[in-house]
Amino acid sequence: MKNQRMFILSGLLPALLLVLVFTYYPFFKGIVMAFQEYKLFDLRNVHFVGLDNFKAAFKDPKFLMALKNSGYWVFCSLILQFTFGLILALMMKKQFKGRGIYQGFAFYSWALSGFLIGMIWKWMFNSQIGVINDLLLKFGIIHERIGFLSDPKWAMVSNIVANVWYGVAFFAIMLLAALQSVPSELYEAAEMDGAASWRKLMNVTLPYIMPTIIATTLLRAIWIFNDPSIIYGLTNGGPAGSTHILSSLMLDKIIYGGDYGAASAIGIIMMVILLLYTIFFLTVTKAEKVGDF
Amino acid sequence: MKQRLLSMFKFSYLSLYLIIMIFPLYWIVITSLKPQKDIFSFPLKYWPDTITMDNYVNIFKISKFHIYIGNSFLIAITAAFVVLIIAILSAYVLARFSFRGHRQIMLAFFATQMLPGFIALAPLYLMMSNMHLLNNRISLVLMYTVGLIPFSTIMLRGFFQRIPGSLEEAAMIDGCSRWSALIRIIIPVMLPGIASTFIFAFVQNWNELFLAVMFIDNDALKTLPVAMNSFIMKFDVDWGAMSAGAVLSIIPTILIFAFAQRFIVEGLTQGAEKG
Amino acid sequence: MASRKKLLATLLTGAVTVGLMAGCGNNSNDSTSSNANANAGASDEKIKLRMIESLTSPNRTKLIQTSIDKFEAANPNIEVEFISPPFDQADNKIRTMLGAKEDIDILEVRDLNVAEMVNNGFVEPLNQYADKWADFGSVTAVAKSVGSVGDKIYFIPNGLYERQLFYRADWFKDLGLTPPKTWDELYETAKKLTDPAKNRFGFSFRGGSGSTGTTDAMILAFNGENVNLEDSMFTKDGASIYSTPEGKAAMELYLKLYKDASPPDSINWGFQEQVQAFTSGVTGMLLQDPDVIQSLTEKMQEGTWATAPLQTGPGGKALLAAGGAGWGIAANSEHKEAAWKLIEFLSSPAENTQFSKDFGLIPVHASAAEDEFFKTGPYKTLLDMSNQPDTFVNYKPAFQYPGNAQWGQVAMESTQALLLGQTNLDDTLKKWDQYWVDEKAKLKK
Repeated sequence: MKNQRMFILSGLLPALLLVLVFTYYPFFKGIVMAFQEYKLFDLRNVHFVGLDNFKAAFKDPKFLMALKNSGYWVFCSLILQFTFGLILALMMKKQFKGRGIYQGFAFYSWALSGFLIGMIWKWMFNSQIGVINDLLLKFGIIHERIGFLSDPKWAMVSNIVANVWYGVAFFAIMLLAALQSVPSELYEAAEMDGAASWRKLMNVTLPYIMPTIIATTLLRAIWIFNDPSIIYGLTNGGPAGSTHILSSLMLDKIIYGGDYGAASAIGIIMMVILLLYTIFFLTVTKAEKVGDF
Repeated sequence: MKQRLLSMFKFSYLSLYLIIMIFPLYWIVITSLKPQKDIFSFPLKYWPDTITMDNYVNIFKISKFHIYIGNSFLIAITAAFVVLIIAILSAYVLARFSFRGHRQIMLAFFATQMLPGFIALAPLYLMMSNMHLLNNRISLVLMYTVGLIPFSTIMLRGFFQRIPGSLEEAAMIDGCSRWSALIRIIIPVMLPGIASTFIFAFVQNWNELFLAVMFIDNDALKTLPVAMNSFIMKFDVDWGAMSAGAVLSIIPTILIFAFAQRFIVEGLTQGAEKG
Repeated sequence: MASRKKLLATLLTGAVTVGLMAGCGNNSNDSTSSNANANAGASDEKIKLRMIESLTSPNRTKLIQTSIDKFEAANPNIEVEFISPPFDQADNKIRTMLGAKEDIDILEVRDLNVAEMVNNGFVEPLNQYADKWADFGSVTAVAKSVGSVGDKIYFIPNGLYERQLFYRADWFKDLGLTPPKTWDELYETAKKLTDPAKNRFGFSFRGGSGSTGTTDAMILAFNGENVNLEDSMFTKDGASIYSTPEGKAAMELYLKLYKDASPPDSINWGFQEQVQAFTSGVTGMLLQDPDVIQSLTEKMQEGTWATAPLQTGPGGKALLAAGGAGWGIAANSEHKEAAWKLIEFLSSPAENTQFSKDFGLIPVHASAAEDEFFKTGPYKTLLDMSNQPDTFVNYKPAFQYPGNAQWGQVAMESTQALLLGQTNLDDTLKKWDQYWVDEKAKLKK
């Protein structure tokens, strides 16, 4: 028993210690900014203002717009990434000729940095010199150039397209790894029962990989919500602030306003939203088992 | 009949996806082969009139690209290894044992994913400064490791949970200690999960820009993303250099994904034989 | 079995690499700290200066490094570590370093952030050094003003930029057009150049970040003589430039310029797209600073483009602000004398003129105007403009206002909403007027 306690302790200690010291400690040191007037222009005049930054955020129509956009952005990106990723993983499960190379090209997008994806897609989406408009015109699909990044009708869609292009690979990789660990006996048993492939999928495969599905969708939703880099690179929240999500708005407050107080307050609000979302998600999916949360 | 329909769907899905994935890559590659004057010529050229390696030669001439690539490899691989070691241990413990504080620890790991990173940046910079780790590759290895511990733990824990506990119990009855049961029996079975966690960690490290800009001053210690970010200038983006750099930075990841394929399958079959 | 050994081997390699890196890192750290100790000990020991740039580009870094090498050769007791963060992140990094009191001796300060740096006590006034500097006399008044806040100079610019018009000389010739002199002419010319069917547009519009470059330039030009040159967001009567009928007329023309003569997509373009559209032959006219000359030369055929002065308003005046960045000394520096020595060297007429030529900037020394290089080619326009100070009037941008940092973003978003037809012009101008009236009230407090 004592042995076991030692094992638990020595197994957990490195991870726990590092995360506490290098993630939580600096975070709690920094959190105080949300309750201060903390502007880069005037660092010698940093002082506490209570909840003013939070009040200001909720009064700001830009914030409310970004809040709405965040939901839309996460929902669409997540559903599309997951669906395409799951289908891809299922199709790639069985060995086929050149699967290794196929995997290389199918998954590389995941290995690009958000900043590069933003740059590449901004260039391709450009309505005058971009290749997407050029191709659509060439194939006769459209007759007039589309302002993918300048038309408020399209700008958010374009961001989501780039994000889906980037993120399908994540689900495919994770789900493929999970699929490959499904014990073949389970399939054999199902085959003996004469189950059709659709039923096999629903009754054997999906339940087996459900923990991975829940964990990946949950995490991915959080990352999509938190990562401003694609929007920052593609539209930078424009036109007229119509494509800001909370994380890009936070970045905007820092880069263009130097207002760390306002940005931190948005950061904290984002955290609260994510916590609520996580609790909700785990309750709905009845997934206490996944993480024993 | 149904079988044929299915394989046709499969074929078209895989092909269409491949085309969509490859096109941006194709566009970067041919851009990197175009002379400066042709990159933004209108109408667009889908195949360059003249092919040149100038952009590639240039990035090695104007900056120390080989050094940046070396740094990125060193840092990304080291941090990914360290994460794996630490996370395998914590994930195993969290998967196999129940104890007081279990729930809180999982929650603490999970919650890190929600923290807005920039809030911690200034305090973190001060910490690195006090530890004399600024301008030192160790600072990046350390922070990349820390950043990936929670996710890797959560992910690996999922993989551990799918392996029946009877596997190492049998080994322990045979006289193995828990440590050696973990190393000898469980890890080989887990290789697919470990491989994907490693790839994931590597890729994150390979791309990380923000901390790398902050913590590193010396040109000889810079990483690839920082070097590529330098091609964005005040009034211009050097697309020739940018695309050449992008191609070079994508090649290793494509190779890793292609290679890991074999690795995952190999690990699986071995695990099955032993089981 | 085999795979287990492989794994162990790789783990070991990993551990060894960590050790190796630790070794390297510690060594370099040790050497810096021993250097610092040495400095404290004896003054003729080697001094190490740390210098950081902001407007980084690989070519520029190389040029500056070459100058530094020369300086080090001439001053064997001074060693310079030159730090070049990517432009995109540089100012952020500099702030973080200064905030954490990291060792920095020389930093590149920008016109945009000098007020912030001064306000936070990050930079040292340079007057006492500059007064003893033999070549300070030939530094142009404009350059001095760019580097100053109030009556103190905080950085010596390493070059200046000023907006001018770049246009497609070949298109102009085909259509028999001449470069526009006024904003109205610019609009007419742009309209003639526009042919959406051929994907050709007259004006390289920029509605994304940096859009104020155009809106403010037009509004200032239309307000013309009335603008208070020292407090340029306001007229001589103290009203904001956005509240006048002239300001409104300027914006009306601006809207027409977008609707009739600019790519619809450009509502969200920043500098990259704006320049790319010009170099790729989509647009015929571009308003930019001289640092684009290099990339135009690289990407376009010779003879297809030329330059012309900035456009004037109805009153015949164009208001012009010189911009620039340059070298300042960190308030925390322990080697201020040595730091100044390097700044003096980099700012000397010979070094600065060479750097300006190589990188495409206006030199800071008046004597450099004699150089043949600046009397010909694309730079000539800039010289012409400075020779007609009555038409091309210099003003001081509103960098002293804390809200100026955010102004670009506020103006950009409301301009975009206006261009999209989501708001009307009167409301937009009212909003802008209010913004600056509020800023002024805050400043007075």
